[in-house]
Amino acid sequence: MIGALRTWTDQFLGRGAAAITVPIFDGALKPNQILEQAEIFAELEAPEDLATDGTSLFVADGASVLRYDGDTATTAVQVDRRITGLAIAPSGGLAVALDGTEVRVIGGPNDGRSWTRVAGKRLNAANAICATADGRLLVTDGSQTQPYDRWCHDLMSLGRSGRLLELDLADGSGREIANGLAYAFGVASVGKDVWVCESWAHRVVAHGEGRWGLPVVSRLPCYPSRLASAADGDYWLTAFTCRTQLVEFVLRQKAYRTRMMREIDPRYWIAPALTSGNTFLEPLQGAHLKMRGIHKPWAPPRSYGLVMRLAPDGLIRYSLHSRVDGKNHGVVAAVECYGTLFVLAKGRRRILKLPVAELERRLLS
Amino acid sequence: MTVPIVELRKATKKYAGVPAIEDIDFALLPGEIHTLVGENGAGKSTLTKAMAGVVPLTSGQMLIEGREVQPQTPVEALHLGIAMVFQETSLVPTMTVAQNLFLGQERFFNRLRGIYIAAQQFLQTLQFDVDPTATVSLLGAAKKQMVEIARAVLHKAKVIIFDEPTASLTPEEKKYFFDLVFNLKARGVTVIFISHALEEALLVSDRITVLRDGKLVVTDRKENFDRARLVQAMVGRDLSQTLYGQRKTTMRPAGKRVLSIENLRMAAMVKNNSLSVFAGQITGVFGLVGSGRTETFKVAAGVIKRDIMYGGEVLLNDKPVRYLVPAPAIRDGIVYVTEDRKLEGFFETKSIADNIYLGFLAKMRGARKLVSKREATQVAERLIERLNIRAISKDVKAIELSGGNQQKLVIAKSLVQEPEVIIFDEPTRGVDVNAITEIHQLINRLADEGKAVAVVSSYLPEVMALSDRILVCRMGKVVEEFSALEATEEKIMYAAIH
Repeated sequence: MIGALRTWTDQFLGRGAAAITVPIFDGALKPNQILEQAEIFAELEAPEDLATDGTSLFVADGASVLRYDGDTATTAVQVDRRITGLAIAPSGGLAVALDGTEVRVIGGPNDGRSWTRVAGKRLNAANAICATADGRLLVTDGSQTQPYDRWCHDLMSLGRSGRLLELDLADGSGREIANGLAYAFGVASVGKDVWVCESWAHRVVAHGEGRWGLPVVSRLPCYPSRLASAADGDYWLTAFTCRTQLVEFVLRQKAYRTRMMREIDPRYWIAPALTSGNTFLEPLQGAHLKMRGIHKPWAPPRSYGLVMRLAPDGLIRYSLHSRVDGKNHGVVAAVECYGTLFVLAKGRRRILKLPVAELERRLLS
Repeated sequence: MTVPIVELRKATKKYAGVPAIEDIDFALLPGEIHTLVGENGAGKSTLTKAMAGVVPLTSGQMLIEGREVQPQTPVEALHLGIAMVFQETSLVPTMTVAQNLFLGQERFFNRLRGIYIAAQQFLQTLQFDVDPTATVSLLGAAKKQMVEIARAVLHKAKVIIFDEPTASLTPEEKKYFFDLVFNLKARGVTVIFISHALEEALLVSDRITVLRDGKLVVTDRKENFDRARLVQAMVGRDLSQTLYGQRKTTMRPAGKRVLSIENLRMAAMVKNNSLSVFAGQITGVFGLVGSGRTETFKVAAGVIKRDIMYGGEVLLNDKPVRYLVPAPAIRDGIVYVTEDRKLEGFFETKSIADNIYLGFLAKMRGARKLVSKREATQVAERLIERLNIRAISKDVKAIELSGGNQQKLVIAKSLVQEPEVIIFDEPTRGVDVNAITEIHQLINRLADEGKAVAVVSSYLPEVMALSDRILVCRMGKVVEEFSALEATEEKIMYAAIH
């Protein structure tokens, strides 16, 4: 009863869960244009994920995995379905998620092992894979209700059906580490813990010995995506777009959302996007207002590009941005390979290349 | 030889036998701008108060245009042509600006509308943006100061004494003020100007007098001074190695986000403002008066309330908090060190120890039935030593302390609460150079200890000397962020104005 009254007053006064607020990009998240100014390493048809074995860069592009040694690309793997997640298997070979509904190992001693059901439930939107040192695979299954491509539907339905799974390469078993996640997208093995991104909850949480769902980073001003190890024990966390008050408002208006989802083409929803500015039918992306005789840009971002470097304790050390007026948006993966950071901007189907030492010198000195 | 318009010979003023000024020979030349500088307690205010008839001299002579006078009241001094604009506002808070301007000059049949029109015209000639119909108690510190200045100008005094006139003014307002001072000079008015801001002294003065410990150290033309010589004369030692006025060359890395303000709204003052304060760092907040910086932090600390509906969120360690009064904020670890220490900072008739202990008690949940004198003594002694509060004893009343020590007392009251987030609002306003150095060192020490520190200041060199990151506020929200290393005065000021 008290809870219901609290909810009602919160909704009436715009407080608590009904406060339409968004954290600010400041401190280590202060915007810059580094991603926008980054060198374009490759432009591909349908890139989805990145992985590295320390010497080569692997890119999931449609139904194939490309291997880059330097600037030279060769096809390492060709499958029959689109690859939605990619990792280097611990004992050799590649682990891939196929259309979100299957995880399969290709090559190496466990070649051909696959999983389509874990803990009695079908894989539905498997989107990230991480190999652990002790021979397991950690997988995030974004949503149990919406397939991989319909992530925006899951957001607009306030989905909370994501799962974190552990797959044993040795015996082919699988178990559920966590469920009910607000779109699980991105996983990393951190010591004895597992970090998993909950995109719709704007946080990274840790699961491990005695720590279940403990936030590592919370209240992010963005929708986090995949995690990857960096040198010196740090982690790269990507975000495919940032939060806005407009979208937060829409997420709290059930009748509006329902009608929008029923009647409007998803490309024109008031919702986050991997890319924007393609048509005038999209919600307003940039505008200006006049203040004291000066035109000032005003840009509620719909798509954005962001990479963050996390310390092992979860502190954000620095961040790389492609701002609202940029193009390299919809960042879903970043891996560090031989001192170079490769970033996948899915919105523009580009892979960007940034020298890490130069970044550190520029941002930390 | 020019006859001084005001001259003091062997002027001495003692309070309870203790000299505040001693054997001072001071000459004020007609039409000059003469700046008095010195640490708090150096005797600047006493010297000028003696001229303005606020306090009588214990011994010595005062001459106006060669004629010996002994003004016993400010009214007598005003009739002799000397007016003083006080550091502490002397306006009647319940009256309007216009009524305050014309107080004591009312005609028998007074027409309110006529006063408002006259006041409006007069304020416009001074380029002061103050509504003559506004009640003084509702004005901010800067606007009250403007009214004080306007009133002195209105009285057509031959000598106008300004005691710390620019302390509460924004850079834009300061420019207007200096234009006004130069205007007064052009009209033949002589100006005495007390200031802690040495750059101002070097900028506007014709001559500068330095006082120290109640004695006149030196009087010279401003061309013969530079900043180092002034500081040397004021404190009697070289402060060039201290933090005062120096730019930062390194910055601390940010710790975890401790205080986060999201889309805060508070009436017309704060408009959708968002910012974060991180542990182990000093976050400097700069902005002109009315930019909403003070109000934002007052809301965070529970001193004032945000909008009832859709007022935004304040988060402490990522948990939403909403304080209606400061006490729960203090218990949670947020303290606000006020910009107006005399009004909000301490109980001026209570002792140092009592004031600190009251701060200590504020941290407790609920009212204490019994208070311990011994505990109060121990707490006070610890804080007095830590902050180097200079007083004869811990039982000295707060009102008897110098400005710098009063400010340290306000900080001590806050630090005794062992806060996690400390918000300093104008921490060195009206404080002498030596105290500034000590307060800056303390603020740096707090950040080094891992506290989340926010410093709100209108003084750009202070913001730049202290801050690891600088937020600039304009029109109710943060509009720009600079790291300490990339910030320049020009960049900050540009962001604050445009």
